[in-house]
Amino acid sequence: MMHTLLLLALNGLIWGLIIALIALGLSVIFGLLDIINIAHGDFFMVGTVVAWFTLEATGSFWLGFITAPLFGFLLGALIQRIVIQPIRNVAALSIVATFGLSLILQESVRISFGPTPHRILPPIQATIPLFGIEYEVYRLFAAAIAVAALLGFFLFLNHTKLGTWMRAVRHDRDTAIAMGIPAQRVYVFTFAIGFALAAFGGAVAAPITTVDFRGGVDILPFCFMAVIIGGLGNLPGTAAAAVLLAFLEGVIQSFADPTVARIASLVLMSAVLLLRPQGLFKGLTR
Amino acid sequence: MTRRATIERALLVAFAAFMLAVPWLIPALINGFWVSLIAEILIWSLFASSVNLLYGYIGLLSFGQALYFGFGMYGVAVGIDQLGLGFWPAFGLGIFAATAMAFVSGIFAVRLSWHYFAIITVVFSLIFYFLAVTQKWLTGGDDGINFTLPPTFSFGGTQLSFTSATFQYFFILATVMLCLWLMQCVTRSPLGKAFLAVRDNDVRASLIGLNVYGLRLTAFVMAGFLAGVAGALFAFFGRYASASYMFYHVSGEAVVWAIVGGAGTLFGPLVGTALFILIRELVSTHWEHHSLIVGVTAILVVILAPRGIVGLWRDVLARIAEPADVERSVEPAAELRTEP
Repeated sequence: MMHTLLLLALNGLIWGLIIALIALGLSVIFGLLDIINIAHGDFFMVGTVVAWFTLEATGSFWLGFITAPLFGFLLGALIQRIVIQPIRNVAALSIVATFGLSLILQESVRISFGPTPHRILPPIQATIPLFGIEYEVYRLFAAAIAVAALLGFFLFLNHTKLGTWMRAVRHDRDTAIAMGIPAQRVYVFTFAIGFALAAFGGAVAAPITTVDFRGGVDILPFCFMAVIIGGLGNLPGTAAAAVLLAFLEGVIQSFADPTVARIASLVLMSAVLLLRPQGLFKGLTR
Repeated sequence: MTRRATIERALLVAFAAFMLAVPWLIPALINGFWVSLIAEILIWSLFASSVNLLYGYIGLLSFGQALYFGFGMYGVAVGIDQLGLGFWPAFGLGIFAATAMAFVSGIFAVRLSWHYFAIITVVFSLIFYFLAVTQKWLTGGDDGINFTLPPTFSFGGTQLSFTSATFQYFFILATVMLCLWLMQCVTRSPLGKAFLAVRDNDVRASLIGLNVYGLRLTAFVMAGFLAGVAGALFAFFGRYASASYMFYHVSGEAVVWAIVGGAGTLFGPLVGTALFILIRELVSTHWEHHSLIVGVTAILVVILAPRGIVGLWRDVLARIAEPADVERSVEPAAELRTEP
């Protein structure tokens, strides 16, 4: 019993770290562009599919860690220019546009990849004995990669010129433009980096979950929950909330079925929304 | 009467004549299946109208209207299948369940606005979606409940029921039009003007003494009522209720239909719903990947006509009918602005 609990908690923790990457992309797009991105789950799904195609074409899974975010970045930049730019500032329209985008991405993947789900075997076959079972080493490795990517992103945001620009435009667009920051390019870059983060999360998660054109549908509400509970626009809060939520669901799953765990986290989220709409971590980080 | 009003009135009469002639006209021109397709479009457009009442008139974007649709649906299905109710009590139960649920969840939801409101409505609907999936004894889960429909009216030996496609069509048409007429009455009343004041600037509305919370709750309950009627009709129409209709994708589709058709207009949701369901039906028989077209259409409409198809039509009409008045008729662009 104790072992099951620890195991599910560990699974939740690892999954939460991957979700944190994806939710971070959602939060960046939301915070800077004021876009409610319904297609974000599909950005993740595209990442898993690119990882699968890369594996099929080159035989190397690891190459997917480069191709998936790169593909996401380029497609994200393109989408921002064509779809998001003309409707900027009207969040309700962004919901419709990204809903359309979500349909297009899912259908394109269904055409190119096919309607049947596929599995990717873990690239690290080894297992280690943990809590009474042979635990896949790749899962631990995926967690480490996710943590590294999260840290890398925060370093980028706080210690590079582009990251500073992103924060400046979010803070005060007009002043930023007056100071000579190319806000337009920052918007394109932000949307692209948001897509790239989700696609990278997809590549990391591909051997843990299945590769399927509907793979983004379930993940989307979860990412939104992380963003809200962490506080809209609060990036470290988002990451922390994702880990906390997945961990909690893992723990609850050890004594109830997964749907009950999902309902529990939804109820928790309602409480947070009603009692602390600014997020759980307001005032702790900024 | 201005030329513009004449054109609009002529269109309305033509539309009404067409809708009344559908059960005879459509089977003669195409085939009988399209009569039930038009009935389905009517039901879904009523559902989209519930999104429209909230977003277009009071400025609340609900992403969880499927919850009230589902309650209307299950009220009917559980009423007939498990409680053995007749047609009208089951109809009443469905509408009551949806409206009561909208009242209870509205008490909490309308305390929030904008993004937070959108999110909490999804959260509420997801909670009940997962509950419906697990509580199979009541809801049948994803498999749903199938039931046989009792007659709507019976006079002695003669019965009128949904087994007659023509009666089914007219019952749905009458119910949907009655609901739209009620909605028109509300939006044109002082209450409706107060809704618009809250939509355009809630702070200013509260400063002139309007009870913003009360108005938002009223609109939310009314929208729940509309969604509940749509759900109950859909249960009658399909003789079926399923948890899958409570998933957030169903709510999302209604938002898209309402905004693409034209939020804040009475017929916008009908136009948007008809457009997307017709695309689905016309294309899906020839080409498997019809959702590509749906996606592209949604994106094109919001880029080219941010105020929806009906909004675009009104601009066109204003230009051809009253060229001199174009300046006056152009509404402020920031009508549906976002709150900071």
